[in-house]
Amino acid sequence: MTLWLLVVAVIVPTVFLKKFRRWLSSMTGAVWILVGLTVMSLLGVMIGQNLSPDAYTHRYGQVVGSFVYRSGLSDIFTSWYFLLLVAVLAASLVACSFGRLRKLAAARGAGRASRAGSLLLHLSMVVILAGGAVTAVFGFRYPAPVYLSAGDEMEVPEGGFTIRVDAASTEFSDEGVIADYFSDVVVIEDGEEILSHRIEVNSPLVHNGVGLYQHEMLPSATSVLEVVFGIVVLTEDGELPLATIAVPFNEEFELPGTDITLKVLEFLADFTYDIESRTASLISLSHRNPAVLVRISEAGSVIGDRWIFADVQTHRDDTGLPCRLFLFDYLPDYERGLTRFELSRQPGTPLLFIGFAAMSLGLCLTFWTRTGRPSTPRR
Amino acid sequence: MQGGTDMLFFWVALWCYLAATVGASVYAGTRKDGVRTIVFFVTLLGFASNTGALVMRSVLSGHPPVTNLFEYLSFFAWAIVLGFLIIWRKKGLELLTAFASTVAFAMMAMASLFPTDVSRQLIPALQSYWLWIHVSMAIMAEAAFAVAFVASLMCIMGDRRGHTRLPNRNLLDSIAYRAIGIGFPLFTVGALFAGAVWAQRAWGTPWSWDPKETSSLIVWLVYAIYLHVRRTRKGSIALTSGLSVLGFTLTILTILGSKFLGGLHSYG
Repeated sequence: MTLWLLVVAVIVPTVFLKKFRRWLSSMTGAVWILVGLTVMSLLGVMIGQNLSPDAYTHRYGQVVGSFVYRSGLSDIFTSWYFLLLVAVLAASLVACSFGRLRKLAAARGAGRASRAGSLLLHLSMVVILAGGAVTAVFGFRYPAPVYLSAGDEMEVPEGGFTIRVDAASTEFSDEGVIADYFSDVVVIEDGEEILSHRIEVNSPLVHNGVGLYQHEMLPSATSVLEVVFGIVVLTEDGELPLATIAVPFNEEFELPGTDITLKVLEFLADFTYDIESRTASLISLSHRNPAVLVRISEAGSVIGDRWIFADVQTHRDDTGLPCRLFLFDYLPDYERGLTRFELSRQPGTPLLFIGFAAMSLGLCLTFWTRTGRPSTPRR
Repeated sequence: MQGGTDMLFFWVALWCYLAATVGASVYAGTRKDGVRTIVFFVTLLGFASNTGALVMRSVLSGHPPVTNLFEYLSFFAWAIVLGFLIIWRKKGLELLTAFASTVAFAMMAMASLFPTDVSRQLIPALQSYWLWIHVSMAIMAEAAFAVAFVASLMCIMGDRRGHTRLPNRNLLDSIAYRAIGIGFPLFTVGALFAGAVWAQRAWGTPWSWDPKETSSLIVWLVYAIYLHVRRTRKGSIALTSGLSVLGFTLTILTILGSKFLGGLHSYG
């Protein structure tokens, strides 16, 4: 709707107002439009885009922060005034191209290549803007990232198909840094598996016009390979010195020299606890507040299950336990990692790339042919 | 992994560029051909050393030396000197070309402030042949803008101080225009077009108003303004020179911006 209003707002004065049309096709008009776009883009970069209202208030104070948010400066590239200026630019390019077409028809000899290049350059920008408009009207971008694990299935919005993730894995180099991450997916349409594809960062899956793009891979938020505890064993003679001990996930582990057994039952990457229902759960998928549920046994009988945190301050209830524990470290489980996809459909992209290709050709003709050279002297 | 011999070559290049800058200042005062010849050979030595550092780093890491700010700025300095060496023999531009090393030295000095570690492993986002196309073309374009910047700065200095010893301002203006005439298409194709194609493959959208993308668009718009203003009657040399200087200043801010503004381009 906004787009159509903008188009009408530009087309009507262009058609009916001769002065405005002349200004649009003039060099001065072009310069002022470009200056306007530059200033708005600068504001966009300097202010910071799509932050929360509180972030602007914190950054610029109550009055200015509120103004930034309410005036649309916080999302300037979709604001009506930025889009209006882009529409004016498109009108200017079309008006200017008519003049260039007349000059091209009149040109003779070596100047024709440069003039043709200049015309192509200006028209290609209209094609690029049209590509952007097509995506804005008919495109779609899933508003939130999608996280899936191996074995998960998801119906792809606006795609008319389902994907199943068979593997989501991360590979590491000898230096221990991430070398690659990938997701093996199967596309299911009308109940039939029709293709399988390995999605990597620069190798998306595009099916029925909808693309799935690999953005990142998180280690599992609910399992780890191994937990390293800091532990102080309490004996009748007092405390033993602090030691660290690695315990495999979900396996019973007897502390050497004691009859104490530990078993890590659960892992939560970002722990939260609901007092009413007395249940622990994940507040997010990031590893911000990791916690493990440990079953502590002594001489074969269970003493108790305790949530253990990295922050020692959170350990209050150690009464009755034969040891004091805190979460020192853990080995993340990348095998059962969470793959993060971005979903989008960009129907204007082919038009955009055709425009860019034409623009490249136009630039070469304009600047790199013999007649594209500068005129001197000047003031 | 820390760099080895490549860092030795880097430092030799940096000191050569500094020495050539001092030599260019002496030449500006004395105008002795002998001094200019020395400046030329010192610049050439710096350029050879800079080339050596980049080649060694590529061999050591197994990928183009453009994956962090240290590498980008070293490569950028190399491309700037190359740009000036191409026009070294042009008559009337002796003083302009003598200062080839000055901008290159500034870039090398900035590069030295960033981490110099070499990693053989590229992060998944950079594992694409588009890395080489996108970044190297952007660097070449920005090097052309650097040549235009020095020419335009000399134009402005000539206007302000009435220097008669500076090169002819029409010639400087013409050099700035030609440099921008090379840089602008390269920037459009390399930084914007190739960047959009790569972004579509990697992120699912050719344009996301990321700070680096928007800053690059701003640079493009300023040079587009330059090219339009130059064709109007009001477009004096002083105004176009100012726009050229502004364009290059914004280019530098764009290069460094991803470090401070974050966004999808914040790798190095």
